[in-house]
Amino acid sequence: MKGRPESRPLLKVENLNVGYSGMPVLHDVTLEVHPAEMVALVGSNGAGKTTLLRALSRMLPCTGRVAMNGREFEGLTPDQVFGLGLVQVPEGRQLFDRMTVQDNLLMGSYRRMDKAVIARDLDRIYTLFPPLAERRHLLAGNMSGGEQQMCAIARALMAAPVLMMVDEMSLGLAPVVVEQLMKVLTDIRTDGVTVLLVEQDVHLALSYADRGYVMETGNIVREGRARDLLNDQTIRKAYWGL
Amino acid sequence: MKARNMGLILAALVLLAGLPWYGSDLLVQFGINALLLAVLAQGWNIIGGYTGYASFGNSVFYGLGSYGVAIAMVQWHLPFGVGMLFGVVLAVAFAVLLGVPVLRLRGHYFAIATLALAAVMTAIVSNLSLAGQNIGLVLPPLNNDKLFYELSLGLLTITTLTIWGLTRSRFGFGLIAIRENEEGAAVMGVNTTLYKVTAFTLSGIFSALAGGIHAYWITFLDPESAFDLTLNVKMIIMAVFGGPGTVFGPIVGAFSLSAISEFLSSEVTSIAGLFFGVVIVAAVVFMPRGLADMLRRGRDMGWGYFAENIRRHRL
Amino acid sequence: MKPLLEVRHATRRFAGLVALKDVSFTLAPGEILGLIGPNGAGKTTLVNLVSGTLSPSAGDILFRNETINRLPAFRRARLGIGRTFQIMQPFPGLPVLDNVAVGAMFGRDGGHSNLVAAREYARECLEFVGLNNVIDKRADELSGPGRKRLELAKALAMQPQLLLCDEVMAGLNHVEIEEVIDLIRKVRERGISILVIEHVIKAIRSLSDRLLVLHHGEKIAEGEPDAVLENPIVIEAYLGKKRS
Repeated sequence: MKGRPESRPLLKVENLNVGYSGMPVLHDVTLEVHPAEMVALVGSNGAGKTTLLRALSRMLPCTGRVAMNGREFEGLTPDQVFGLGLVQVPEGRQLFDRMTVQDNLLMGSYRRMDKAVIARDLDRIYTLFPPLAERRHLLAGNMSGGEQQMCAIARALMAAPVLMMVDEMSLGLAPVVVEQLMKVLTDIRTDGVTVLLVEQDVHLALSYADRGYVMETGNIVREGRARDLLNDQTIRKAYWGL
Repeated sequence: MKARNMGLILAALVLLAGLPWYGSDLLVQFGINALLLAVLAQGWNIIGGYTGYASFGNSVFYGLGSYGVAIAMVQWHLPFGVGMLFGVVLAVAFAVLLGVPVLRLRGHYFAIATLALAAVMTAIVSNLSLAGQNIGLVLPPLNNDKLFYELSLGLLTITTLTIWGLTRSRFGFGLIAIRENEEGAAVMGVNTTLYKVTAFTLSGIFSALAGGIHAYWITFLDPESAFDLTLNVKMIIMAVFGGPGTVFGPIVGAFSLSAISEFLSSEVTSIAGLFFGVVIVAAVVFMPRGLADMLRRGRDMGWGYFAENIRRHRL
Repeated sequence: MKPLLEVRHATRRFAGLVALKDVSFTLAPGEILGLIGPNGAGKTTLVNLVSGTLSPSAGDILFRNETINRLPAFRRARLGIGRTFQIMQPFPGLPVLDNVAVGAMFGRDGGHSNLVAAREYARECLEFVGLNNVIDKRADELSGPGRKRLELAKALAMQPQLLLCDEVMAGLNHVEIEEVIDLIRKVRERGISILVIEHVIKAIRSLSDRLLVLHHGEKIAEGEPDAVLENPIVIEAYLGKKRS
């Protein structure tokens, strides 16, 4: 059986430490994400997941090494990180409620110059997300939670991301809708989009991801292949820090 | 309070009280204006500086005090003292009746609501024949600047003493708690509604008294000048420039800005306004917490104080 | 023994959203009750109903057998309900001592009426939490853990009978967490009953006499900590439904 060659990590995080006004929030976080992978980052509230994403986007000061495709993030600003292809789908969606769906999507491609490719991508998005195609002239704020989440993911895709970080997608959504969205996230990997999925719902995230990391109070307390973590009976202990 | 500081303050007070005897007439007039402005700034300090509710309605109290004295003296031929009392009664009534609903609003909304009150008062009084409508009232003249000066100084002293007492009282701490975290204050046991209305009323009383003195001194008032909004803006700038939430800050602010304004108008008349604006902008950038804070912490931190302020306010 | 706090069928709605639904529980005098649940479970809403920041849409809140549903927050403080805040906001310009003195000047039965007595009591409270060596420092000079202790001291200065603690452990390391746990136990020894909201499960498990679990605004479990944490319903609330 041919073994898979070790792919170089797309994102490499080493010894990341983040603190808020004197209080340390993340301790020595080390993780990596490989190309076309889906990595789940799970943990309860207050574990530091969103803080980690914000630190990666350089919205927070931190110490430690972060590199994507070999490019170090030291000294970069959030928009520069975005320019490198690290795109976040934030918690709570953060859509432009009073703009149409189409305008929201176009805002995602705001920094891109290649107009023809953008138009093509928009068509692709509408194929991928039929409900958005139907609602393209609707105000984003008038859609249901699931549709808004879909729009948020689509908007991130319009930025032609290299690595997409999705923060707490499942919050407040019906299970059926969540499954649909997870399927989309799995599908886009064939297009070369790598996904870092941050979730409270451990079982959900691990049943779709390739690998996973469990965070508890600012530390990575467990990691491994998603399948192995799912079968781990003691995972709740790690989740709760027991 | 340290004995040395106490001595310095008493000395300053004596010096100020003696001004009419060794100063020029012009200086005394400047003094009266500056002192009354200081009272207004201190009055604002109670509701704006300590309680954290930036009121644009203090000029209303000032106007009520002015009209109180004017109506009492001109229409009912009562003495000045009674007029002042009447002005205070009007101010208290206004503060309690309108304060309760208006103080439910926070931040910008509160400011806008008080702004609206000021405009409304001008309109109402312009139509009141008792108040002389648009023409206003002319009070019996009293040519005694010395008296007005000492009255103003006395009022400033009482106002400042009140604020000083505030800082050592349960009431004052309650106000500060409201300013810092109103929800937290309520949960801690502070009756926020009662305290806010009381602070507003206190602020109003001092403003009204200042208005009363000013009306008798100038011997003329009309709705435009009595409820002048630019006066409210001035008192806020002076309080904030000097140091809101401190005992002496507004006084320092009022005196220094009055002096600067006077100097600029006489020396550089045409661009006085511009320079004044530049002074204010520079103050906001470099010492946003007022002179008082700069003097206290600037000494330890040196030039770093200004750098930190610029950085903190992300300029 | 009569419960100190009783919540009966408490419900709270916000314009179409039901934040809390039919939640009932009691807190006995001298008890430490831990309140846990995943994000958005309604924990803070529940604490707000007890402290008086919010009134219930339905149901009753009873303190010392008295219904306090419509009682404003400051009156509840006078009855003896104290609270710490998640986002600590000390009065930055004031020294540590005065920050706590404010708590001593209000609180149960209106607190101390004069500044001197309040400062005295504040000193005691600061000593209790171990901050007596920074009494004269400005509050904004304190470190994170220090500010948490300050927040606790301020709440204690109110002389509460019931203390509502909102996430005191966030951001602390293992050693600091142990210290806070000890401190809260000391508070209980003084006869104060405590309701603790916490995300650090490890900490709240060892601290609490009982645990109460909320999920989507409803109570899903209540009881002895280890039993609650083994409860599959609780595990599913946190970790999600198991999939085939």
